[in-house]
Amino acid sequence: MRSRYLVTRILQAVLVVAITYLLTYWVLFALPGDPVANRLDNPQNPVPPGQAKAILEYYNLDQPALLQFLITVGRLLQGDLGYSLGTGRAVSDMLLQGLGSTLLLALAALVVAAVIATGVGLLAVFAPWGPVRSLARLVPTLSLATPSFLIGLLLLQIFSYQLGWVSSLDTESLTSLLLPALTLGIAASPSITQVLIQGLTEANGRPFVRVLRSRGLSHRAIAARHVVRNGSIPALTLLALTIADLLAGSVIVESVFHRAGLGYVTEQAVRSQDGPIVLAVVLLVSSLYSLVNLATDLLYPVIDPRISITESRLGAGAPASRSAQPALTEGA
Amino acid sequence: MSDKNHPAAQDPASQRLEEALARASSEDGRIRRRRMIGGGIAAVAVVGAASAWGLASRGGADTSASGGTAGGSAAGDAPGSPVSGGTLVYLDAEASRSTQPQGAGTWQDSAYLENIADRLIWKDPATGELQPYIAESWEISSDGLTYTFTIREGVTYSDGTSLDVASVARNLQWQADGDEAKGIQPSIQWPRLDAISTAGSTVAVTLLEPYAEFLDVLSGWAAVLVADATIDAPLESQQQITGIIGSGPFVVESEKYGEKIVFVRRQGYDWAPPSLAHQGEARLERIEVHAVTDDTTRLGTLRSGQADLIRYIQPADELQLAEDPSFQVLSAQGIGATNHWQLRVSIPALQDVRVRQALQIGIDRASLVSDLYTENWAVARSVVTEDAFGFVDLSTQLAHDPAGAAALLDDAGYADVDSEGYRSRDGERLSLITVIDVYDSTAKPLYQLVQSQLKELGIELTLRDADYSQVSEAYAAPDVATVRSGWPYPATWATLRTQWGSEGTDTFSLDGADPILDELLAAQAVATDPAERSALLAELQHHVIENAYVLPLLKDSQIFAAQSDVQDFSWSAEARPLFYTTWLDRP
Repeated sequence: MRSRYLVTRILQAVLVVAITYLLTYWVLFALPGDPVANRLDNPQNPVPPGQAKAILEYYNLDQPALLQFLITVGRLLQGDLGYSLGTGRAVSDMLLQGLGSTLLLALAALVVAAVIATGVGLLAVFAPWGPVRSLARLVPTLSLATPSFLIGLLLLQIFSYQLGWVSSLDTESLTSLLLPALTLGIAASPSITQVLIQGLTEANGRPFVRVLRSRGLSHRAIAARHVVRNGSIPALTLLALTIADLLAGSVIVESVFHRAGLGYVTEQAVRSQDGPIVLAVVLLVSSLYSLVNLATDLLYPVIDPRISITESRLGAGAPASRSAQPALTEGA
Repeated sequence: MSDKNHPAAQDPASQRLEEALARASSEDGRIRRRRMIGGGIAAVAVVGAASAWGLASRGGADTSASGGTAGGSAAGDAPGSPVSGGTLVYLDAEASRSTQPQGAGTWQDSAYLENIADRLIWKDPATGELQPYIAESWEISSDGLTYTFTIREGVTYSDGTSLDVASVARNLQWQADGDEAKGIQPSIQWPRLDAISTAGSTVAVTLLEPYAEFLDVLSGWAAVLVADATIDAPLESQQQITGIIGSGPFVVESEKYGEKIVFVRRQGYDWAPPSLAHQGEARLERIEVHAVTDDTTRLGTLRSGQADLIRYIQPADELQLAEDPSFQVLSAQGIGATNHWQLRVSIPALQDVRVRQALQIGIDRASLVSDLYTENWAVARSVVTEDAFGFVDLSTQLAHDPAGAAALLDDAGYADVDSEGYRSRDGERLSLITVIDVYDSTAKPLYQLVQSQLKELGIELTLRDADYSQVSEAYAAPDVATVRSGWPYPATWATLRTQWGSEGTDTFSLDGADPILDELLAAQAVATDPAERSALLAELQHHVIENAYVLPLLKDSQIFAAQSDVQDFSWSAEARPLFYTTWLDRP
């Protein structure tokens, strides 16, 4: 039963990726313009029609859509992602360079976001002084309202141009990660902070807190041992989901700090409609999402025994249901 | 912290800019949005520049640097004797995209090519004169068909192979034919080739018909000489700068896509154009080129001293930097076509020559420059720059004459004025569409100012924003009345012929309806007698300007800013930066 569920889910994931790929290909084909056409029609250096034909033939751009698609998919199945139309670079090389740089940035930003969320969250709920709590509650709104390019430019202005602590041109050393990670971390922190504040506030108001207090535990011990543990679960879930936001938000941050990460590679490719790169990025991201979803679904029963996988009564192929109702028990 | 670093609110030039923008913005809601965004970014820069930490007047430069030397070479004052060594950090506004020589369409790629590879012919940036380079000398047969080049001895590519006659012959054949199997286009300006042969130290090129600008073609970036390994490599390898093996004064050490290119001095380089004062190896040991697309970041990095040279600054920033002794503003206007708008005669309203002529004299070119730009920019006086071969001064024909323009429009039947102040004929408004140039970030204010000038005349100009990826479709749209073109070119008239001729890309959409134009274009190309050719070109310039196929606007300027200790920064004839002579006057 389990293995049959597993196979169904994997097939579903593959289907999602395939459909996404097909749709992207169709959109790219339907939209006018590509780097080759732009090069041929560049008003600074236009290529006469006779010479342009040979170039279009080289890229198979003179073939019907279906044939172009089959050629592309045929190469893909052999593990060949092709070459960028605009820059001639191997798509796999560009993805690897971009992914490496962006993952590093995203991870560092995630740490920053977690630190900010924890700090601000704790202050907002447990700070002994009212005004500090109110001020801390303002922080998420404030950072949400500030565009990240502005934060990035301000950080550059202060820490690089004025104080000279970090180079604004270095993109390779670990210190070069500091400012972009801070920028991206600040941008990603508000939702986590807000959910954490909410979770902590709610947990703090639960009856078990009063019970614990009546047993003589100190305020600090209750907060540290019980409230934070209970109240931070939703925020932790959100933290994992934030990774997607970080990948998306990296476009702007990478542009300010001129790091050629995945965001930059994608932005450049979309800007010039460089098909092979756009397709590869879509393939990568949709695979990643499907994989994470699949893993989450499969991991639920392992993490929480109250969730189990049962075959649906509606028959094979239908998704499994998470049958158990979570019990409404409180616990530390 | 000096007052110079405060926003130049009292500066008359920036005030004029503000007023011009304000005038334009009252006309179009979209402009206001743009200004706010721009203002936001500028505000950040101002916060930093005006803050107590201001380091803007970095370094101990006591001499006041004079900026804006146009032409051949430019430098700050009071230089000592040239120093060899050091690393120049240069921030370009764009990353390298594709360096395949025949297809190198982007500005920065052509600039990098000229620093790592040599050409047969050197075009003097100051005079436009064609001088020896890898070709020691040349002879042209009396029928103008055969060019015999004597090739300099002892030149090698950076992979150690020899730049000999065989290599030159192979390069020329490759430039003329491209490589169809690899998707490599021929060099667009190359003439039709009959044969290439070698004998001793000479290479002879025989053409099917005379071609006046052949030597100019050979001086350009698309005519760089590369090693066999590069020609043999696939297109995809040639598109990356690490795949270009040249014989130039610099060699590519490494590239990180989208971020950085490192050039190092070529050891043993000893074949610079003989007419240059500096000979031997380049002075700089390394050049680090970073692609920094954001204007604010580029300027901030220069101001903080982390960069030595940046390309492209906004006119408002240019004024501020020019006043600061720690920096120099460098500018050059290359030899070639002036920046102009090409009109499409296929648009019904533009079929009447009087309407086109009204546009020609209805635009106030002087105020375009004075309102939007700086003293480093100049008004166009013809379709080509003053130093281009055959230039004739047509500023009288281009002079602003609103009354004359109004009379022409009345004559053409556009006498009625509708409720919004636009002229109309038979109930149809005189309305034109253009697409804002996506390749130039100063384009938008320029287009808006032309728009407001034409509105004064009663002509509606609709500005269309194009997506970078769809720019070719946007330009090609059948309702677009005018498209911008015109930059410095190695072979100016050959390039304009490709654009204007009915056998080329037919940018006026004449479809052969003007045989005189086609005849002049063809005749000047094969005219080998300079006097005869000058006469033909003069006629051609009169023809396109009096028929108002072309609205020349400005001369394109390349603006750089540098630390004051960057010396002997020079330009190629097409205003690409050449780092060969550059040195750093610092301990």
